[in-house]
Amino acid sequence: MFEQLVDGVFWNIALIVFFVGVIWRLITVLVLRSKRIDYSVARNSGVSGAVMANIRGFYPRKEVSARIRLQVIAGYMFHLGLFVLLFFAAPHVKFIAQHITGFTYMTIPYWGFIVASEIAFAGLILLWVHRVLNPVTRLISKRSDHIGTILVFVVMLTGCMALGEASSELRVLHRFSVELLMVYFPFSALMHAFMFIPSRAFTGAFLGRRGVNV
Amino acid sequence: MTGIKDKKSARMRKAVYCCVLSLLFVLVAPLIPYVIDAHAEDVTSSKANKPVALQHPGINLWNDVRQRNEVTQGSSQVIGVDSGILINKTGEDWRRFRMQMLMPYGAYFMAATITTIVLFFLLRGKLRLPGGRSGELLCRFSLNQRTAHWFAVGVFWLLGITGLILLYGRFVLIPLLGADGFSITASACKEMHNLIGPLFLLAVLALLVLYIKDNFFNRDDITWITKGGGMFGGHVSAGRFNAGEKTWFWLVMIFGFLLCITGLVLDFSVFGQGREIMALSHVIHGISALILITVSFGHIYLGTIGVEGTLEGMTTGYVDASWAKSHHDFWYEEMSATVEEQQGIKKDVASSSTKPASSPAGD
Amino acid sequence: MARMKFYCDAERCIECNGCVTACKNENEVPWGVNRRRVVTIKDGEPGERSLSVACMHCSDAPCAAVCPVDCFYTTDDGIVLHDKDTCIGCGYCFYACPFGAPQFPSSVAFASRGKMDKCTFCAGGPEETHSADEYTRYGANRIAEGKLPLCAEMCSTKALLAGDADVLSDIYRKRVINRGASVLNWGVQYKKAGIDG
Repeated sequence: MFEQLVDGVFWNIALIVFFVGVIWRLITVLVLRSKRIDYSVARNSGVSGAVMANIRGFYPRKEVSARIRLQVIAGYMFHLGLFVLLFFAAPHVKFIAQHITGFTYMTIPYWGFIVASEIAFAGLILLWVHRVLNPVTRLISKRSDHIGTILVFVVMLTGCMALGEASSELRVLHRFSVELLMVYFPFSALMHAFMFIPSRAFTGAFLGRRGVNV
Repeated sequence: MTGIKDKKSARMRKAVYCCVLSLLFVLVAPLIPYVIDAHAEDVTSSKANKPVALQHPGINLWNDVRQRNEVTQGSSQVIGVDSGILINKTGEDWRRFRMQMLMPYGAYFMAATITTIVLFFLLRGKLRLPGGRSGELLCRFSLNQRTAHWFAVGVFWLLGITGLILLYGRFVLIPLLGADGFSITASACKEMHNLIGPLFLLAVLALLVLYIKDNFFNRDDITWITKGGGMFGGHVSAGRFNAGEKTWFWLVMIFGFLLCITGLVLDFSVFGQGREIMALSHVIHGISALILITVSFGHIYLGTIGVEGTLEGMTTGYVDASWAKSHHDFWYEEMSATVEEQQGIKKDVASSSTKPASSPAGD
Repeated sequence: MARMKFYCDAERCIECNGCVTACKNENEVPWGVNRRRVVTIKDGEPGERSLSVACMHCSDAPCAAVCPVDCFYTTDDGIVLHDKDTCIGCGYCFYACPFGAPQFPSSVAFASRGKMDKCTFCAGGPEETHSADEYTRYGANRIAEGKLPLCAEMCSTKALLAGDADVLSDIYRKRVINRGASVLNWGVQYKKAGIDG
């Protein structure tokens, strides 16, 4: 019963909520941006500022690099690990081909899958522990950040539990947690997966137009 | 008449004697060669006379196959780890260890520790700060140290709980969940244990690098130990870490690394390690894990409800000065001496709601 | 009730590996899994002996004792079987078994073992007898058809015997008596062959 719901109705709902929500939020951001008129004198191109800011965001500034080393390293560990195992692990590729795209593509071997998930786990736990312990990040973290982190952790943990492919219950648990995450995704800080480009571009363009060396 | 009769009877007697003798001869004569043969063989070889005492001719071979004296490695067309070994004796030793030693003694060990802690708590209660809080805060653990600690805590308990479920689940959880239900739990635990396991190596390495500086034993630790760590009252002096904390650190290091090494041997079974190595690894893994889990009960008790003011050192990074004075007075003096330069001590200006905004240098 | 046993006669086994092939063929075991293997001791030396070995269906089975999920069970015939639905692939039975009988499919090579597979005495598994599910997961169920395991049935020299322990021990006792009639000469032959000592 629950299994059929998770595989059928819940999955469709989650998929619709996810895609509609993400597109809705992206459109909202783009429309808001276009309504805004910047009256300042253009000292430099806003476009180059937007591009530069997007690139510049990938590595830390020299002044703070020593202080945020853990965040940068753990951040890259988590995001790269998650990216690899989300899109290139054999079970995921098979699932995506069956349910979304209809075609398969390159997969990583099983050991790569394991290594990627080790790295992603280490990164996620370190980042969350750091978020809670560091007084600054704790102050600026909202409830949505913590819920998002916990949901991602639960998804990864149930995925790891289902690794043995021992029973359909564990697989259903994993899919259910993924569906929860997908429904929560568009309405939370998890949107940064898509928003990081426009938000960096916005700041970069704003500063670039004023001649700030981004 | 009598003469004839006598002659007749004498002949009869002779005939009977002859008959008996010839009968005896017929019976005995075939035995003579045996007697001679036996005698001759007795002279030439005394061994062959006792066929019963001869051992089975292949006894040494089969003893070796049973690994009674030495290990005989055979060969097999089937390619595989240990496929040439017919009988592996270590399996039975491992079974005896796991079922008759590790499981019962581990359970007794943990139960006894928990009982002791509960009794101690009931007798002594929470150890209060003498004279209350001073309001002065000292930086005890840097952000990196705390991050490493809580990372290790998370990984340790994920592994500890999954490991204990795998060890005791058959006897504790199968009656509750049923065999099918527990199978799902156990499969999840096994995969989690295998996947999260290698992260413990990262955790132990981080703890080693970040905590080793103040954890070497010195002369003060002897007095600390002889006074029983202040467990039975009275004041004991200690530096940044007391002898108990140092012992815990080194236990984590020794058994933590043993756990990691043996865990990797068990986890990644694709490098051709045989059953003997894996069984031995499992023995070390089980003992180390149960020691660390048991001692961690004490660590958790002292860090949380046992001693007032300890936990905040690991959560916020700062401890109250009166806590430092009463538990780590040498460290307090050290910190006071360098207070101005390092800004280690801060006046807790407002109440505890305003957390120290800037973390100490070296984060 | 009968108690099923394997017996392999080292004086008869010629290491033809027919039992291994028969087992693989009858049970369609996955690649990399060998429920039965022939081990040769002193290969190429005087006194070479071979033995075919698989699960020996122990009375006090170490695998069943150490299994953390208790997935083993013994049938009325004394055959030790396991439930692959319950098995979690931890490998403990592999550590405990003296004969190296438990096998793990190597399709998932790194870290994670698949579910354990071992000799079933051609008695299938806990699934419905002669169902397709039983065949794909556990192999043939010859016992339910009244037949003995194919490895023993196929053995060309009748070195590998399978069946009721009482019958087997009678057969073996007769063999020993026949050989034992010339036990002294036998010993001489063993000596010549370099086994003894």
